[in-house]
Amino acid sequence: MGDNGSVERRTVLKAAGASLATLGLATTTACGGDSGGSGGGTVEIRFAWWGAEERAKRINQSIALFEKKYPKIKVKTDFQDYVAFWEKFQTQAAGGNPPDVFQNAVAFLRKYDKRSVLLDLKSQVDAGNLSLENFRAGVEKVGEVDGKLLGIPVGSNTMSLVIDEKVFEKAGIKPKAGWTWDEYFDALEKIRNTQKVAGDTGYFGIMYLYDLYLRQNGKAFFTEDGLGFDEADLTEWWQDGYNRVKAGIITDPKKVEQNKPKSSLAAGDAGSEFTWDNFTVRYATEGDSTYGLAPIPTTDGKETGQYLSSLMLSGSARTKHPKEVAQFIDFMVHDPEVGKIMGYDRGILATTEQFDAYKPADAPNQAIAKYEEDVAAAGVLGTITPHPAGTDTVEAAFLRIAGDMSQGKTKVSDAVKQFFSEAETALAA
Amino acid sequence: MGTAVTTLIKDSPPDAPEKRPGPPAAVKRRGRRENLAGYLFMSPWIAGFLLLTAGPMAASLYFAFTDYNLFDSPKWIGFDNFTKMLDDPRWQKSVEVTAKYVVIGTPLKLLLALGVALLLAQSRRGQAFYRAAFYAPSLIGASVSVGFVWRALFSDDAVVDRTQSFFGWDVGGWVGNPDWVLYSLVALTVWQFGAPMVIFLAGLKQVPKELYEAAEVDGAGPFKRFWSITLPMISPVLFFNVLLETIHSFQIFGSAYVVSNATCGPADSTLVYTCYLYQKGFKEAQMGFASAMAWMLLLAVALVTAVLFWSQKRWVHYEEAAR
Repeated sequence: MGDNGSVERRTVLKAAGASLATLGLATTTACGGDSGGSGGGTVEIRFAWWGAEERAKRINQSIALFEKKYPKIKVKTDFQDYVAFWEKFQTQAAGGNPPDVFQNAVAFLRKYDKRSVLLDLKSQVDAGNLSLENFRAGVEKVGEVDGKLLGIPVGSNTMSLVIDEKVFEKAGIKPKAGWTWDEYFDALEKIRNTQKVAGDTGYFGIMYLYDLYLRQNGKAFFTEDGLGFDEADLTEWWQDGYNRVKAGIITDPKKVEQNKPKSSLAAGDAGSEFTWDNFTVRYATEGDSTYGLAPIPTTDGKETGQYLSSLMLSGSARTKHPKEVAQFIDFMVHDPEVGKIMGYDRGILATTEQFDAYKPADAPNQAIAKYEEDVAAAGVLGTITPHPAGTDTVEAAFLRIAGDMSQGKTKVSDAVKQFFSEAETALAA
Repeated sequence: MGTAVTTLIKDSPPDAPEKRPGPPAAVKRRGRRENLAGYLFMSPWIAGFLLLTAGPMAASLYFAFTDYNLFDSPKWIGFDNFTKMLDDPRWQKSVEVTAKYVVIGTPLKLLLALGVALLLAQSRRGQAFYRAAFYAPSLIGASVSVGFVWRALFSDDAVVDRTQSFFGWDVGGWVGNPDWVLYSLVALTVWQFGAPMVIFLAGLKQVPKELYEAAEVDGAGPFKRFWSITLPMISPVLFFNVLLETIHSFQIFGSAYVVSNATCGPADSTLVYTCYLYQKGFKEAQMGFASAMAWMLLLAVALVTAVLFWSQKRWVHYEEAAR
């Protein structure tokens, strides 16, 4: 090897090492955005939502109708799945560049109202660009917060219990309105004993179900600005949940993780699952069994604690085209053709024009319609629980910490403490 | 990068006040004009560096000492983010997960890289093909799509699980199992041993053949030759690889994010440091806390690097005495 060679090599290596060390890592991120321009008398508005391909197809068809009726308005679209959508939205909103109009949910109203991101649609209603007529009873107030109109409901939904009908039939169980939690857990035990299938996919991590349980007992998950229960309440809820996992009447949490993104109910590893009723269409496509909707178990034999919630359309407070945004929302919630196209994908259609126009032909959608009819007829629907700013973070923490707890990774008492500490931070932010 | 630095050191700046007693003013002016041209050509890079790297870094240093939720203006809170961090069980968990990943993954990867480099250093038929084949995973390994492939490979009832179950060892897929999933990430990084392998190969090529011949004459066996000749001779290369891979693996994000389906779970088992940082910053909008975490990581990596540099006196052999 040459004389220079090794000297050079040494220098190179040392220098390379040193420069590597000084390079470090910058983990900050800069974000920019584009603004929707308009020209030639036409106005462009950006519309974003969360959902899957299927919803995207329906929405694009609806938009085609809208653009035909309003040729001067062009709608630019964007969609992601739920989690990615809100991450992106938060960044866009912080940068002052949120979409002009977007899908919204109750949990995010206060959070973004507090940050002045949401357009108060009242003035557009007064100006006649947006009609509040013909909303079905129970949903019309969902988008109102502190006297402001922050979202227009597109469909109503409510928490429900989805069951594998074949499994329940084999075990000889017929869920009926007003059945109690004891009866529900007895049923799960029967299912385990007769069919070697765990019953439930993990009820104890679902914030919205715990809310119903608390409401049955005169409390609620949230008050206007904080949590509506204490550590003792949650300790009991999670300790029971943990014991039931150990008893084998709840699906092994590891199995649930492995089945994702498929539901363990559809995968045949459970007999039932609590979820929003408009989500139930997925089970029929994912699994091979037949799935039905059953009543929420009660504490006193009557109250389920249920209420109607809703997905909404909201506008951005920074939009340059509030009038067009209002016209778009108006069209999307009132036009009967749009109702026919959208179906119950985002819940049972919120306005009577759309509700009457769409007659579900397939079994799952018929079942959803019947379920909400039955629930309304049973007279158990109450007013909606408050959703303070930070609800979304609390929901995610509840699910995650319950998961750690059920896997035995965290003691129940520690899990409860951790949840209260994280919830406090989230609600104070 | 290394070469650039050396050239800079070797070729001192053109207008350095050397033994040039007094160049004519015209020459001086031309020198200055050349400098100006140089900076002009560099300006896109300089602008990029200032705007996209230095600026954001300075901002993040400031945010690290504030409570900043992206929407309201940052509130100065001193060291609160740092003290809160040390008390946060999830932060501790993320440190634990990352440390485990670095401590297990890096040595395994380097061992494999060195082992394969030793095999490939010998002349044989198809040598070029083997080198390319072993290097290939390094080119694609960091991509998101490979993350998806990995997730598919290690899922329940997928290839790995079935093979394992065939031998009566059923863990139900690594991806959903909190005790196993981190090892699938380790496997992914180890699989990308090609890059350090190529560097090892270059190092091995430079070891003078005479040394081996002399050692053989003295009766040294293969192991002795490796231990007393190869290892010391390539120790600078080894040092470089250890440094590079350690720093690199502290920053693992993509694979953990994709394999865990964007949750860094199950049960926080793949909650690597940057993943928690991301969740804090972009999910929970605690940008102050996230910035503090980033600087803490920088400190930790700097510390580890310093320790490595300090240790090299003891084991890294720079061949210079012979000259």
